[in-house]
Amino acid sequence: MKTLAAEAKADQMDPALKSKKNSSLWLDSLSRVIKSKTSLIGLVIITLLIVVAIFAPQIATHSPTDQSIIDRYQSPSSEHLLGTDELGRDIFSRIVYGSRITIQIGVITVGISMIVGVFLGAVAGFFGRWVDQIIMRLIDIMMAFPSILLAIALVAVLGKSLTNAMIAVGIVGVPHFARIVRSTVLSVKETEYIEASRVIGAKNGRILFSHVLPNCLAPIIVQATLTIGTAILDAAGLSFLGLGAQPPLPEWGAMLSDGRSALQTAPWVVMFPGFAILLVVLGFNLLGDGLRDALDPRLKQ
Amino acid sequence: MKKKALWMLLTVFTLMVLVVAGCSNNDEANSEGEDSNSQDTTDSESAEEGSGGSSTFVFGRGADSEQLDPSKVTDGESIYVTNQIYDTLVRYEQEGTEVVPALATEWETSDDGLEWTFQLRDDVTFHDGTDFTAEDVVFNFERWTEGAEYVYYGYMFGASEENPGGIIEKVEATGDYEVTFTLSEPNAPFLNTLAMPPFGIASPDAIEEHGEDYFKNPVGTGPFIFEEWKQDDSITLSKNEDYFGETAKVDTVIFRVIPDNGARFMELQSGSIDAMNGMNPQDIQQAEDDEALQIIRRPSMNVSYMAMNTDKEGPLKDKKVRQAINLAIDKEKLLSLFEGIGKPAKNPMPPSLWGYNDNVEDYGYDVEEAKSLLAEAGYGDGMSITLYTMSNPRPYLPQPKFAAQAIQEMLKEVNIEVEIVENEWDSHLSATENGDHDMAFLGWTGDNGDPDNFLYVLLDKDNAKKGSAGNIAFYKNDELHDILKQAQTELDQEKRVGLYEEAQEIIHEDAPWFPIAHTTPPLAVKKEVQNYIPHPTGSEPFNYLELN
Repeated sequence: MKTLAAEAKADQMDPALKSKKNSSLWLDSLSRVIKSKTSLIGLVIITLLIVVAIFAPQIATHSPTDQSIIDRYQSPSSEHLLGTDELGRDIFSRIVYGSRITIQIGVITVGISMIVGVFLGAVAGFFGRWVDQIIMRLIDIMMAFPSILLAIALVAVLGKSLTNAMIAVGIVGVPHFARIVRSTVLSVKETEYIEASRVIGAKNGRILFSHVLPNCLAPIIVQATLTIGTAILDAAGLSFLGLGAQPPLPEWGAMLSDGRSALQTAPWVVMFPGFAILLVVLGFNLLGDGLRDALDPRLKQ
Repeated sequence: MKKKALWMLLTVFTLMVLVVAGCSNNDEANSEGEDSNSQDTTDSESAEEGSGGSSTFVFGRGADSEQLDPSKVTDGESIYVTNQIYDTLVRYEQEGTEVVPALATEWETSDDGLEWTFQLRDDVTFHDGTDFTAEDVVFNFERWTEGAEYVYYGYMFGASEENPGGIIEKVEATGDYEVTFTLSEPNAPFLNTLAMPPFGIASPDAIEEHGEDYFKNPVGTGPFIFEEWKQDDSITLSKNEDYFGETAKVDTVIFRVIPDNGARFMELQSGSIDAMNGMNPQDIQQAEDDEALQIIRRPSMNVSYMAMNTDKEGPLKDKKVRQAINLAIDKEKLLSLFEGIGKPAKNPMPPSLWGYNDNVEDYGYDVEEAKSLLAEAGYGDGMSITLYTMSNPRPYLPQPKFAAQAIQEMLKEVNIEVEIVENEWDSHLSATENGDHDMAFLGWTGDNGDPDNFLYVLLDKDNAKKGSAGNIAFYKNDELHDILKQAQTELDQEKRVGLYEEAQEIIHEDAPWFPIAHTTPPLAVKKEVQNYIPHPTGSEPFNYLELN
C-alpha cells in the first residue's frame, strides 16, 4: 500500500519539478521538431538569419548607408550582388544589416507582448472573478481593432520612430498571449499538484509563478514563435507606411517603400527586401507550427 | 419581451444599413449612367461637326487641393483647379506672362501710376446665374482685406494687421462696368499681379450663402463649373456652356488624386487617366518610348530650395553655419536624382526671369572649407538638426524623400546629424509656415513673371510671420527689405533690374537657403489629347484642349 501511494503521488507531482522527466520532454520535442521536414526548414532559415545578423560586417560587401548617387538603380552584378537602390546603396549589404533590425524587432516586440500578455493572462486566470472580468474585457476591446490599424493609431500618438513602432506592435500582440495564458492557467490551477501546494500553505504568488506558469510554457513558446512572424510583418508594414524605421536605417519594409517608385524600371530594388521579409516570416511560421505539433502531448507517440 | 424587441430593433437596423449601403452604390451607378447619357445627348447635339465618344478629361496628380477658394491658398494643387473655375480681371497669354484682357477689356493708369481704371465686360454671368458687375469686383477686393487668411493678398500687396488693405487704398465701382483702384504708392508688378489665379473673382452671393463652407462650394465665371469634391479622391468639373471666352471642348474634367508616382504612371499607361504630372524621373524614358503617350515639358519658372530657419534658436542662426551647409552639399550629385529635368540653382529666382543675376557665384562643393567654417562657428564637433520634407513629389522637386536622404548622408561628412521629418503635403506646409523646422524643403513656381513674386514673397521680412510665412527661412534683413520695397515702387524697368540683382547678392551672402534646382516639370499626356499648352506659372485652364 505504501509503495502504491508513493507511486500515485509521483504521478501527480508538478511536472516542472520532475527535472529528469522534464528535460526528456524538451528533448523529445526538439527531436520531433527536427524530424518534421517543414519545421526543420523553418529552423534552418532562422539559424541562417541569426548567423547573418551576427556576422553582418563580415558578410556585407559595402556599407549599408554609403551612397553613390551616380550608380543608382544598377542591376545585380558581381560588384553589387543584388544591385543598387535609389541612392546607389548596395542592396545586398542593406539586407544583411537589415537582418539585425529584423531580429531586434522580433525579439523586442514579442518580448513586450509576452511579458505584458503573460502577466495579465496569468493574473486573470488565476484570480478569476472581477479581476478576470476587467482584464479580459479590456483584452476583448483591444482585439476588436484590426491589429495593424491599432498599431498605426498607437504610432500616430507616440510619434514616428522604430522604437515606437516596436512598442505599438508589441502592445497589439498582448491580447493573444493573455488569452492563451489565461486558458492554460485555468486548467492548470485545477490540477492536484496545485491543490497540494495550496495545502502545504504556499502563498498565491509562489503558486502562480513557480508552479502554474512553468506549466504553461509550451503554449507560450509556440505563440511567441508564431507571433514573431506577424510582428516582423506588422513592423515592416509600419515602416512601409513611413511610420516605423526612419532613414537611413536599412529596414526591409522601408526599403520596399523607397524602391516602389522604380518598380517598373528597377524591380530588384523591391524584389529582394520583399523576398527577405517573406523568407523570414515563413521561417518563423514553419517553426511555430512544428513546435506546436511537437509540444502537443496528444501527439506523443 | 423587452429583449425580443431589442433584437428586432437590431435586426431592422442592420438590414437598414445594408439597404442604404446597397442603395448608395446603386445611386452611384445610376448617376454615372445618367451622366453618360446626358453626355451622349450633348454630344449628339454638338456631334454634327465632330466626333462623338467620351469627352471626359481626367488629370492625375499627387495631392489634393487644400481649398477651392483661391484667395486663401498658395499651393499649386488648389490653384490647378481654381484656375478652371475662376477668371481674373486680366490674364496671362497662353504661353507666357504677358497680360491680356479677361474680365476687364481695357485699362488705363494715371501718370503717377497711382490710379488704375478697368473697363469690364458686360456679358458675364457667374455659375450661379447672377450677373457680373463692378460691384462684385469691389466686394471681392474688400473681402481679401479682412484678414491674414487671404494669404496671397498679403504677399502681393503688403497687407498687414495695421494696414489691412496694403498698397491698395481703395477700390471703387465708378460705373456699372468700370472699376477704379487707387494705390498708396506706385506698384510696378500691379497689372501682372491682378492676373494671378488667387485673385479670381468669386460670386458674392455664393460667398454669403455658404459662409465658412465656401471653400468647398466655389462659384466663379470660368470655363468650368464646379460639380463635386470627394476629399483626397477626386474633383469633378463640368463645362460652362455660357463661357464668355473660348468654350471648353471637353464636357467634364476630373482631377484625381493618386499619391504614388509609379501608380499614377501605371494608371496612365492603362488608360484610366488622360494626363498626369509629378512623374518619377526614371519613368520619363519609358513614357517617351510609349506610342500612346507624349511628354510635355512645362517651361521653367520655378525654384526648389532647402530653407534654413534663421529665427529658431540653434546653429542655423549663424551665417557661417548656413554657408558651410551650402558648401557641404554636392549639388551636381544631388541633381542626378532629377534625371535631367533640373538645372542647379544658385539664386532664389529662375534664370528665365528678367533681373536674374548671373554674376553671383555659387558656393560650390568644398568639404574642407565647410569644416573650417563650422569650426569657426563653434560647431566643429558636430551638431544635430532636423530636415522637414514633404512626402509627395512636387513639380520642382520630384523625389523629396531621396533628396533628403542624400543630403543627410552628405552632411554627415561635416559632422552634422540630420533627422528627417517627413510629412504629408498640407501638414508639411503648416509645420513650415509655423517655423517648427531647422531646415525644410520647399519650392516655388512663379505666378506672375516678376522677380518680386520670388524675392519679396519668399525672402522679405514682411512675409516671415509665423503661421502664414512665405519666407520659411524667417530671414529678416532690413537692407534687403529696403531694396525690395524700392523695387516695387520703381517704375523704371532698368532700375528695377539693378535693384533685384543687388538683392540676389545680399541673399547669396547671407545664405538663408540652399537653392537646389530649377526644373522643367514633365507632364505625361495621352497622344489623343491635343493643344495641351503648359503655362510657366504651373497650371493652365483646360478650355483649349481637345480630345481626339
